[in-house]
Amino acid sequence: MTDTATSGARATPARARSGRRSLGATAEAFLLALPMWVVFAAFFLLPLAVTVTVSFWEFTQYSIEPAFIFRNYTDLFDGCVEDLPYLCTTLKTYLSTLKFCAAVWLATLVLGFTIAYFLAFHVRTLPVQVTFFLICTIPFWTSIVIRMIAWIPLLGRNGLVNAALQGAGITETPLEWLLYSDFAVILALTHLYTLFMVVPIFNSMMRIDRALIEAAADAGASGWQTLTNVVIPLARPGILIGSIFVVTIVMGDFLTIGIMGGQQIASVGKTIQTQIQYLQFPLAAANAVLLLVAVMLAISALLRMVDIRREL
Amino acid sequence: MTTRRTFLKGATALGATSLAAPYVHAQEPVTLRYLSTAVNQSPGIAQRAGEELGINIEYIAVTTDDVARRVITQPNSFDLVDTEYFALPNLIPSGNLKGMDASRIDRADQIASVIREGTVDGQQVGTDGTAPFEVLYLDSADGQSFAPEPTDFITLIPTTYNADTLGIRPDLIDGEVSSWSALLDPKFAGKAAILNIPSIGIMDAAMAIEASGGITYGDKGNMTRDEIDFTIDRLIEAKRAGQFRAFWSNFNESVNLMASGEVVIQSMWSPAVTAVRTQGIACKYQPLQEGYRAWASGFGLPRTIDGRKEDAAYEFINWFLSGWAGAHLSRQGYYPAVLETTKEVLEPYEWAYWYEGQPAEQDIMSPSGELLETAGTVRDGGSYADRMGAVACWNAVMDENQYMVRKWNEFIAA
Amino acid sequence: MGDGRRPRSFYALSAVFALFVAFLWGPMVAIVALSFQGPEGGLVFPMRGLSLHWFEVLLSNRGSVDITGAFLRSFRLALVVMVLTVVISVMAGLAFRRVFPGSLALLYVAIASLIVPSIVVSLGIGLEFRLLDGAVKALGGEWAQGNFVTLLGTYTSGLGAHLTWTLPFGLLIMFAVFNRFDPAYEEAARDLGAGKWQTFRHVTLPIIAPFLIGVAVFGFTLSWDELARSSQVMGSQNTLPMQLAALTTTVTTPEIYALATLTTGASLCLVAVLLVVAWALRRRQGE
Repeated sequence: MTDTATSGARATPARARSGRRSLGATAEAFLLALPMWVVFAAFFLLPLAVTVTVSFWEFTQYSIEPAFIFRNYTDLFDGCVEDLPYLCTTLKTYLSTLKFCAAVWLATLVLGFTIAYFLAFHVRTLPVQVTFFLICTIPFWTSIVIRMIAWIPLLGRNGLVNAALQGAGITETPLEWLLYSDFAVILALTHLYTLFMVVPIFNSMMRIDRALIEAAADAGASGWQTLTNVVIPLARPGILIGSIFVVTIVMGDFLTIGIMGGQQIASVGKTIQTQIQYLQFPLAAANAVLLLVAVMLAISALLRMVDIRREL
Repeated sequence: MTTRRTFLKGATALGATSLAAPYVHAQEPVTLRYLSTAVNQSPGIAQRAGEELGINIEYIAVTTDDVARRVITQPNSFDLVDTEYFALPNLIPSGNLKGMDASRIDRADQIASVIREGTVDGQQVGTDGTAPFEVLYLDSADGQSFAPEPTDFITLIPTTYNADTLGIRPDLIDGEVSSWSALLDPKFAGKAAILNIPSIGIMDAAMAIEASGGITYGDKGNMTRDEIDFTIDRLIEAKRAGQFRAFWSNFNESVNLMASGEVVIQSMWSPAVTAVRTQGIACKYQPLQEGYRAWASGFGLPRTIDGRKEDAAYEFINWFLSGWAGAHLSRQGYYPAVLETTKEVLEPYEWAYWYEGQPAEQDIMSPSGELLETAGTVRDGGSYADRMGAVACWNAVMDENQYMVRKWNEFIAA
Repeated sequence: MGDGRRPRSFYALSAVFALFVAFLWGPMVAIVALSFQGPEGGLVFPMRGLSLHWFEVLLSNRGSVDITGAFLRSFRLALVVMVLTVVISVMAGLAFRRVFPGSLALLYVAIASLIVPSIVVSLGIGLEFRLLDGAVKALGGEWAQGNFVTLLGTYTSGLGAHLTWTLPFGLLIMFAVFNRFDPAYEEAARDLGAGKWQTFRHVTLPIIAPFLIGVAVFGFTLSWDELARSSQVMGSQNTLPMQLAALTTTVTTPEIYALATLTTGASLCLVAVLLVVAWALRRRQGE
């Protein structure tokens, strides 16, 4: 008690001082943030501006020419209105990407929430928590390029999983849908991004006052009621932040969908990549701008529900 | 001998750096930054060139599509590029490559006739697509258009070329495969694959569709919009019917698909078939009645190269054509630019196996000393003349490329 | 609560966690197993032979995988990215403790940098530097014509591209740190006459230090494994993932798995060392 009182009393002159210095403090804050501004301006905003500009340029098979045309955008939506109810390529591609977004979001959310809950409420000491996190992180230190190849020996016709299933007598013939299918894509994406869900949810859960949970239990709430009425609402910010990560990364993915889908499944990222491959930069740029708008819309909706700065 | 020489060189270099720093620049060996896919970058060749020429080869390995992209967008990030002829209609108008001075290439007139004229033993081969002889010469050193007749300005000096066909797993396939139409045969539903490099994949598809009847293409390497529409529609049908297990876009993927048994029939490079076989798995490079789809790759120089680097680049290219590199590549299953010098370096039994379609008198070894084939085997597809002479079309980029890529994306999304 | 008996849900959740770990490590298991094949081995099951052959090939540098240069390049780049990420993130984190002109905009830019697909960023930076190269050549006169190659490089465009990926993570972690930070300590230090730098050095920094390890690990890992953003911006020299991507298109031997096994083994050792160090530090702090 005494301590608090003294520090409170002492804080007053300090606050007064900081009031006088507030202009200097603001300038100082601005300067501190300057390096980050510089990096983002030079390597993010400017390149993005270049991309948007180029999306209105003309192109041939080998060059891009300054211009101001909308053909890249009209090409993108070619047949999207007049061919309804048949979906045009762009709509189909976005739908397929969104489908993966939804499936992976659900899978990572359920799995990530469960893991975070375990780590936050059942693992009691920090060193053990850190160790568990590291165990989960190490597989990601091997290059993604190599890890992707390794799914084939695992899930393929003659892969480990099929061998195990047949060995155990569960299936007679190899399961074909384990690899090069929607399932394979969702599995690999869940594999890659569950941790992105675990970390923020864990973070939110660690901030929940344990007394609240005890209070709920004392008031006669069942474990399930405590979960739905106390833990989930309080972990909401973490859930939303994790969701933002997962949704955006899956929207832009082309590597995983490509490899795990046997290159037979379309994604927006893959389309952009093919266009870059063929040096159709303006078309790729237009596609990128469209993807950007779609992602921003999704995120701004999510951000409306959470103040990311306060909730971390 | 070599070891001692290398050691001395090393010692000199060390001495030079520690004692005479200001003079090092003049003495320093030239480094050539060699841009290509990893397939073309044999460590053995770089090492040998370093020993014989004192030129330091620094490989920049990128994927197939990245080669063309880097030539166009980062023309000063390399000194030597090894790229495919079919990319030239895109690369040359960009002005980033220079026409090579034919008088500085010692064996310019010995380059294989299939590349120079499109003939094998005097017989014309198929010219559908971008045949190398159509894009081999420029009208001037800085020219941005191709010359129909031979000139002194060469676009690319060939490094490797070959003919692709269907690769099959004979142990997993019943009956004979003799036509490209097998690729779309429902018998292989769920076990076929095609190439996901649109401009090449569509040609494989065209070979298969034409073979199964219903269409005759004007030029499979330069389709009209109607032909593209027809081809893509057929592909979409096949995809919906579950014909394809996967699409592949590089050497390794094609080998893995085949070796793991995921796929039993797909178009393949000859060295990829060899790679599957070295794992002890039956795999056959199957000659087909409609002929082969061929490709060729070669050295180009960036517009900006000059001085010592340019001299070194010519020196390296001349060395490349002088036999050792050609033999090295032959043992991997590729064909080299100059056959005569290659023959001088290969052992007679190797030449007979790789080029003449003779049964191997001794075991056939890879450059790194692995057993490729046991004595008595005959090379799939037979001799050089049998293979290159039966070329039906060449890898290409079409005039309707933009439209084709769009339709291909539609196929992927279907 | 600490010594209470474990509820039943504990065992169910432990099982889920164990399965999750098995799931995460699944591909690694395949990689490690397949790296121990004999000389005729391939990249897929079944195993062909059992030996250390591919490790020998890799270490004797006579195989087709030449990654030493790219490995060192990526390692150095990841270290630089790590240090810059920590420094810039801490500075920005301190700045964000108050409102300053453009703070909201910076926040949105950082988040945007995280969610704009990497291939778009890479494309943009590549195009930007192409324009810059043109400008230098136009303005640089004779010297530039002869000597200037490109501004693209590992430590120009490459470094920048990686920072656009690591800094948002760094910043978000700093938010989390400073939201829980009790300013009373700093006020106390200032009241005792400490200067700004002294306060930061002796009070703020020690408190946030453990979290900076997190920022550093994030920075290093994200840079180390970055592929999509690197693709258009590295100039003539490949980073390790780019080199591997190029190699995986051609290498069909388990040599590449041997490499993965070695790097994972090394990572495990590194983690063990870090844990011991952290444990020792805690003990020292405890005293």
